[in-house]
Amino acid sequence: MSTTPMPEVVADEQAPELVPLNAIFWTDFVQILVPVTTANTIDEVAAAVAHHSEGRRVRALPHPKIVIHHGRRLPGHMTVAEAGIKPLDHVTVDYDLTSDLPEETAS
Amino acid sequence: MTLLKREEWQHFVRDVDWTLSYVDDEAVYPDWLAGTGKVPRDAWLKWEEGYKVSYPEYVYTQREKESATYAVKNALQRTPTFDHLDEGWKSATKMHFGGVAQVEYTAMLAELKMARFGLNGAWRNMAVYGQLDELRHQNLTTFFGHALVEKDPQFDWTQKTYSTNDWVPIALRTLFDGFMTTSNTVDCALMLPLTFETGFTNLQFVALSADALEAGDVNFASMISSIQTDEARHSQQGVATLEILVEHDPARAQWVIDKGFWANARAFAALTGPAMDYYTPLEHRKQSYREFMEEWIVDQFIRTIEDYGLKKPWFWDEFMRSLDIWHHSLHMGLWTWRPTLWWKPKAGVSAEERDWLHEKYPNWETVYGDKWDVIIDNINANNVEATLPETLPWLCSTCHLPACNPTQGRDGSWRVRDTSLSYNGQTLHFCSMGCRQIWWKDRDNVNHQTLVDRFLAGHIQPMTVPGLLDYMGITPEVMGDDPDYEAWTRDYVGREASGLITIGGAA
Repeated sequence: MSTTPMPEVVADEQAPELVPLNAIFWTDFVQILVPVTTANTIDEVAAAVAHHSEGRRVRALPHPKIVIHHGRRLPGHMTVAEAGIKPLDHVTVDYDLTSDLPEETAS
Repeated sequence: MTLLKREEWQHFVRDVDWTLSYVDDEAVYPDWLAGTGKVPRDAWLKWEEGYKVSYPEYVYTQREKESATYAVKNALQRTPTFDHLDEGWKSATKMHFGGVAQVEYTAMLAELKMARFGLNGAWRNMAVYGQLDELRHQNLTTFFGHALVEKDPQFDWTQKTYSTNDWVPIALRTLFDGFMTTSNTVDCALMLPLTFETGFTNLQFVALSADALEAGDVNFASMISSIQTDEARHSQQGVATLEILVEHDPARAQWVIDKGFWANARAFAALTGPAMDYYTPLEHRKQSYREFMEEWIVDQFIRTIEDYGLKKPWFWDEFMRSLDIWHHSLHMGLWTWRPTLWWKPKAGVSAEERDWLHEKYPNWETVYGDKWDVIIDNINANNVEATLPETLPWLCSTCHLPACNPTQGRDGSWRVRDTSLSYNGQTLHFCSMGCRQIWWKDRDNVNHQTLVDRFLAGHIQPMTVPGLLDYMGITPEVMGDDPDYEAWTRDYVGREASGLITIGGAA
């Protein structure tokens, strides 16, 4: 007996869903609650987290920001859904001072 | 008729007990509540404490103490003493009144539990006095706090705090429900009279009393000294219980003491640490929080566990490192989320105060100085708004305090790292390895939702900052703010400042 495979749902076609994150701007002193959506890009996540720390307790620097999730640096253009970031996951946002970290794509 | 002398009857009545014949012992002392566990029932016959107070003596002593404390209060109420106290010191007392007054009532319930289900007559007898003590402490603290409401509405939180959903009392209820409300009597005796009253309350009642006298707050010093002398007596229930448990079930004794010690260490880092190292005026500080901890807690705790053949807790290294970290981070957290407090947290980071902090804590500037500098520059740029929070701190699933404990990496940098675990499809975050381990071992008992959990579950409506403040019971007249921004920022006026956010009234 065979079953008809379900059509694969592409993340982009879904309505954005809320993804509350446990986040820290790397040199700040506290983890904070930062809500994003599945449709936000990683660059937008970085900005959302930095908003609560940068220039408030952490001196702003003229460097691009990176997001680390489960030990991986995520590409800035990728969405939260594509990156596989789940509600209540932890992300770290930092300045890209090295530019030599290997970029990986979510599998 | 001649009255018997005390020594002729005291030994007989203090541990008078029932010989049960109509019901089983288990019906009167159910194990889930009495908590004998692996300890044979007869072993509790050896339960022994040193005070052996009788009721007439108890009443006489307490009456004397009450009279003395109220005499001081009445005398000082007619003087302007309070009006001249430093605002930072007043905040230390507001924290104490709000954080302690109604907790004492919970302690009374714990003593009543031991007075009914304690496994030896002498223990139940001692717990009766303990219950009277705690009722007195609740009354005394509430009454003293109440007298100050007319001077400052924040003192109204003496009575209010413990029944609000502010994140601080949620953390306190989590701690004390574990110690006092949900524990069986044996575990209760190890966590409440032993780790809490024999150890940690010394910080708040002895050390802070010394600071109170230095700060000129004789009223507060008199109140807490009067309470501390009761603690010394009824806390004896702890070692008396430990002695028997350690003989029959050392693994359980070790776990309960370890757990109780850790929970206390977290709470006092938030309650007493900032009061000692930031709120108490510099010229009135007797010692640093770390010095007090080492003298009153570390040495004494090590002596106790060695006396009873127990091991240092598994978290000991993490705890010792925490003495340079936890309360500084929590102070920054309390100051940042100051609108959620019922006191006025003084930042306490003027150049002179920072010199003192650096002397007492050589790493302080490395770990905290950069962040306070940005905050100071924002305030000096007329941008206080940039220092106010727009989201919640992440609250630890065990201690309910902000996850803000940096650790030092191999490269020497201090960072707050992710300490989490997944359980039943849920991701939980913790402030420390100790809190994570305790949650894991105690996961069937832990059931309080943090304020973040409640917010995400939709219990707080509207899901906005005003909605949160309303949920926490914070009203405009009590909302916390720094009492004097200029006091700790004036030293830095005019210096070069870059990398500030441009919101509010930014320069």
